[in-house]
Amino acid sequence: MSISNVSRRNFLKTAGITTGGLVLGVALPVNALAEKGIMKASGSSLNAFIHLAENGDTTLYCGRCEMGQGISTALPSVVADEMEADWQRVTVKQGDADEKFGPQATGGSASIRVMYQPMREAGATAKAMLIAAAAKVWKTSADNCFAQAHFVINKTNQQKLGFGELASIAANMPVPEKPVLKKKSDFNYIGTKLPRHDQNEVVVGKRVYGVDTKLPGLKYAAIVHCPVLGGSLKSLDKTDALKVKGVTDVVEISRFDVPFGSIGGVAVVADNSWTAQQAVKKLKIEWNLGENAVYDTKEYKQQLVANVEKPATLAAERGDIDKAFKAAKHKISATYTGGHLSHAPMEPNASVVWVQKDSCEVWASTQSPVDIQKVLGQYLKREPKEIIVHVAMAGGAFGRKYKCDYVHEAAVISEQTGVPIQLIWSREEDMRTGYYHSINAQYIEASMDDKGNVTGWLHRAAFPSIATLFNPSLVRAPEQNLGDITNHLFGVENFRTESGDAKAHTRIGWYRAVYAIFYGFSFGTFADELANKAGKDSLTFVNQLFDNNKNEKQQAQIQRAKKALATVADKSGYHNRGTLPKGQGIGLAVHYSFQSFVAMAVHVEVKGEDIKVLNVDCAIDCGQVLNLDGATAQMEGAVVMGMSLALSTEITFREGAVVNSNFHNYPVMRITDMPNVRVHITDSDEKPTGLGEPGVAPFAPALSNAVFAASGKRYRDLPFKPLAV
Amino acid sequence: MKQSMIINGKTHEIDVDGDMPLLWFLRDRLEFTGTKFGCGSGLCGACTVHVDGQAIRSCITPVNTLVDKTITTIEGLSENGDHPLQKAWLNNNVPQCGYCQAGQIMNAASLLAVNTAPSEQEIDTAMQGNICRCGTYQRIKKAITEAAHTMYKEV
Ligand code: FES
Ligand code: FES
Repeated sequence: MSISNVSRRNFLKTAGITTGGLVLGVALPVNALAEKGIMKASGSSLNAFIHLAENGDTTLYCGRCEMGQGISTALPSVVADEMEADWQRVTVKQGDADEKFGPQATGGSASIRVMYQPMREAGATAKAMLIAAAAKVWKTSADNCFAQAHFVINKTNQQKLGFGELASIAANMPVPEKPVLKKKSDFNYIGTKLPRHDQNEVVVGKRVYGVDTKLPGLKYAAIVHCPVLGGSLKSLDKTDALKVKGVTDVVEISRFDVPFGSIGGVAVVADNSWTAQQAVKKLKIEWNLGENAVYDTKEYKQQLVANVEKPATLAAERGDIDKAFKAAKHKISATYTGGHLSHAPMEPNASVVWVQKDSCEVWASTQSPVDIQKVLGQYLKREPKEIIVHVAMAGGAFGRKYKCDYVHEAAVISEQTGVPIQLIWSREEDMRTGYYHSINAQYIEASMDDKGNVTGWLHRAAFPSIATLFNPSLVRAPEQNLGDITNHLFGVENFRTESGDAKAHTRIGWYRAVYAIFYGFSFGTFADELANKAGKDSLTFVNQLFDNNKNEKQQAQIQRAKKALATVADKSGYHNRGTLPKGQGIGLAVHYSFQSFVAMAVHVEVKGEDIKVLNVDCAIDCGQVLNLDGATAQMEGAVVMGMSLALSTEITFREGAVVNSNFHNYPVMRITDMPNVRVHITDSDEKPTGLGEPGVAPFAPALSNAVFAASGKRYRDLPFKPLAV
Repeated sequence: MKQSMIINGKTHEIDVDGDMPLLWFLRDRLEFTGTKFGCGSGLCGACTVHVDGQAIRSCITPVNTLVDKTITTIEGLSENGDHPLQKAWLNNNVPQCGYCQAGQIMNAASLLAVNTAPSEQEIDTAMQGNICRCGTYQRIKKAITEAAHTMYKEV
């Protein structure tokens, strides 16, 4: 059983859970996360807790990290629904990093996917125990009682007992073997529009983020990093920096060669952040840049293109592609590219760390407190569990705050100065010292018969992969990184994927939507190019591509993808596109990622070189939706992020170092570019799937297709309008 | 005579280096952390506050230019968090991570103080210096229009 009654257990206090009343422990399926590579499998133990206090307040303790995606609203609503609690009285507390909270890494759009079922069962269990408690008090049968809005009610005489009053009695009731879950039609909260629980604090400036931590005796640090990965400090003159009034220390930080350790740099400690930032500029530093000083993204991209436009290393194959190509009526090919991206959340990397002789405490915006424990444990030569991590709300993260190099640096500084340190990276350091989305090239070659059926598909991808973080000697993306190509839902009998050489010269990391960005772009755009060649409209052509997939196992998925695509075609006016004014066009794309299906129709106006996005229709099927409004917001946000990467954002390296520095030369989307976004959410009974990331992928291909429809110009390189930096 | 400024109705002595931008005086010296650091160069708007009712970027405004001035931060925009913009923000569920929103609201408040019914274009122009990386722009526009309505159309 995955739910246990732990109301009387002692360890809860140490995990910061107030006791008294009813406490249920939930064992989350850790293996489901392990399978996604999100964390290592470990024994199943209790790792989320629901506490019903005697005053009726209900708290859910869990380890998922909030970064704006709304998880701390969605999960309590699920518990409250099954429990028949008043959801306003259910709050979520982010557990501090502790093994008890199990999988605390938040990534891969996996939170809801993994926690939905256990949270429902936990809520239903609590309800059953509360009903049993009330039945005991009233000396009646459980069948004669029901729960509603934080009360148990006696059906015969309408007597009521509050959840709080019943909490301690319920703690002595047996845990039901199989709690009965509600029917969808009986949901109160799941699938409705719920406001974010912390909004009231946000609008008055009271929401506390990682960057806002204050402690008595706190000192402030600023840092400058070695500009090139693998470089090291050659010489340092700190005289001028130390002369600045308010500066107390200059600390050298060596590169710590573990995944998510510091790249190496020099930090200044002062009475406030501003002084520290000013003094950093006065450091005279020379670096040994090392072998990555040759890195130049312009040349490198050309090399990637060359590597995919010739035979590469086989990743997967089915059928006989050579035969298909020989028999082809039409053959076409295209190469797509994309640049590095920086996450650039509005809150730069920040944390407070206090290392003392026998303790180490961390306050950080983080997606992965367990990695902080691991890295700091390794660095300080202490057990990971001795590192106490308080998880703060992140001011955006998008994958960046999964990696804790910035926390490691604060730990080094605190260790050396003996005081609690707040290290805030400047925007420039944040942009130049990232874990970037992969620069990449995709080459696709396909054959068609005279009816427009695609008979052969060769897809070569070259990109430095995230795996290089853990194994820097990799010279190309491992075959499993190309799995999403091989398992694509398009039906092509003869198929081959190849991995082109691409050694990493910088740190590569998960970026919202990850590889779906370039797979979505190349598939979605190439399909439109094929349609054009076959003389068919894109919608008909893509549906045919799906229909040609005879794999039994993929039929259900294909239907969902087609439905999403049909929805945006209908809603966007795609069928009447012939009546659009000159210079306007609608482009479609659909992509399956993080187990969800998202289609987009982008309506643009093209005037000369100018691309103006007017409307975006976005359809998502992510199974059962928990919070309709939250889901809508995630799609709106995904469109904005998709638009930034499609049109303008790109990180450029020259002589091994990042050239971009701040928002003037990393132009993320602004309000002036905002199209009218309409989100269409599929009403589905399937299990809930990813929501934070899958919306990003289909935007860029839909935009490329729209611009082509409007102007005949085909964009194959992301971003379409790179800024010269 | 010590120099001072008025922040959210209270007088605060300027006891830091005069070159220090207001942002850091607020955040590190006075521990008003509602005003956020996003870029430090006037490029993102996260640090927006009002000086004598007008939106400015506090990250590039040294405290010695603000002697005897009246500063309003997000914490002081309204008594009970009930400025029409704050209400409209809640009503439209604007925030995602929320980090940029203090700056967005302060910037919008400055707009609505001089423009009682901004057009979409005017909202765009006024708000283009405020980045939201979570992408809440559509809702920001809606909330501003709604707040303008409650402020000026209803009595
Ligand atoms: S922090 Fe002031 S404009 Fe960005
Ligand atoms: S809500 Fe996250 S940056 Fe605006």
